[in-house]
Amino acid sequence: MDINLIDPLIVSFTEILPQLGFQSVEKRDISLIGTTLEYDGVLVHISLVGMLKGAILIGMSLDSAKYFASKMMMGMTVAEFDPMAQSAISEMANMICANACTQYSKAEIIGLDISPPLLLMGSNIQATLPVPQTFQIHFSVDSIDINVYVGLLQANN
Amino acid sequence: MSGIKVMIVDDSSFSRTLIAETLRLGGCEVVGEAESLDSLLETYNNCKPDIVTMDIVMPGADGFECSRALLLNDPSTKIILVSSMKDEETEAEAKRIGIAGYVQKPVNDESLINVIKSVMSPDALYEQLIDLGLETFKEALSQNITRMTKAHVTFADMDTFETKHVSQGITTVIGIIGRHTGSMIMDLSAETADNMVEVLLRRPSKNQEEVLAMVAELANIVAGAACSMLNKMDKAYSLRVSPPSVFCSSDSEITSPNLKMQAFYAQTTFGRIYLGIGFKKGLTLWI
Repeated sequence: MDINLIDPLIVSFTEILPQLGFQSVEKRDISLIGTTLEYDGVLVHISLVGMLKGAILIGMSLDSAKYFASKMMMGMTVAEFDPMAQSAISEMANMICANACTQYSKAEIIGLDISPPLLLMGSNIQATLPVPQTFQIHFSVDSIDINVYVGLLQANN
Repeated sequence: MSGIKVMIVDDSSFSRTLIAETLRLGGCEVVGEAESLDSLLETYNNCKPDIVTMDIVMPGADGFECSRALLLNDPSTKIILVSSMKDEETEAEAKRIGIAGYVQKPVNDESLINVIKSVMSPDALYEQLIDLGLETFKEALSQNITRMTKAHVTFADMDTFETKHVSQGITTVIGIIGRHTGSMIMDLSAETADNMVEVLLRRPSKNQEEVLAMVAELANIVAGAACSMLNKMDKAYSLRVSPPSVFCSSDSEITSPNLKMQAFYAQTTFGRIYLGIGFKKGLTLWI
């Protein structure tokens, strides 16, 4: 997977999260992993179809997800990761991926579309993305650790 | 048209006046106006409109940022972009965000009212997709399992799941895009998958990778076949599928906030296969 394909996602992350009320969005590190990853907590899955094909996962621990949702909901207490908190995290992922498609279009990768977000919650989740290699981007957002996994390939059709 | 409550978001007082006049002549009630993000949510929550018209180019937060804020505040908000900008990528971004309609400035009275009517009316194609979708995916699953393994499939319907589904072990997720975007979830136990691999390969599976590859391929075939069938019924759907992502976990929960899933269990000699399918209503009309 071409590392340049992750730049639009990084731009989207740093553009959208301040609009949702977050003060600091820091990209900590980027690593290249294989097709499979293991996760504990919450993963949001969004598929991407068009000139690029594949999936984007946004992951965080359950506590981080509650804290993140609370910040998105103007500081409202989020004791449980309930449907409202789940909806907030999903909406955030949708906004980031939708905006990333706009960023891709600036790099002449046009006509991308995204699927609605699905949330997976649990421990020892083993995720296999439909690409040989996946980029993992670690962000710190107002001290909340978030991992973004980008598994995209140039489509042949 | 009478009684439809509309809120106008535009930084230009002249544009707001023009749009308000058009709406009033068309029988709508203008219940609120906002000129920027600052007063947007407070005005929306106070006047609770049926429709929001939204300019794109505004100082500070643009129409997309304002639309995101509105949809975050209330995912059911129906937004119509009213802007002089109209190009392929602007339309694509609007659709991805979840904006319902698009009218180009200068506003033609008839166009704006027609788009509002369409946004407020039931979407016949969407209703048809919801009616046909589940049965079509059943047929695609049944046909392909029988074709691949000669096994017979029976079905047990389930209620729609609006809260969660607990994985049986292996969950495959496929995104669907087109006129309506959606998702397909196929979920089965590792034992069921092993049993299928043994029949397909005429030997036990060598490793988990082999099993997951079979599950991903089956999901891919089912989603592709079902979407092809739906496209043949009405080419306006233009459905396409993403490659499958596969998740393994003994007790993970899957939810689809803001997307109602219809689901069924397929009973096979290999074990039980869960299939969930959901589509978003999405855009209505672009003029």
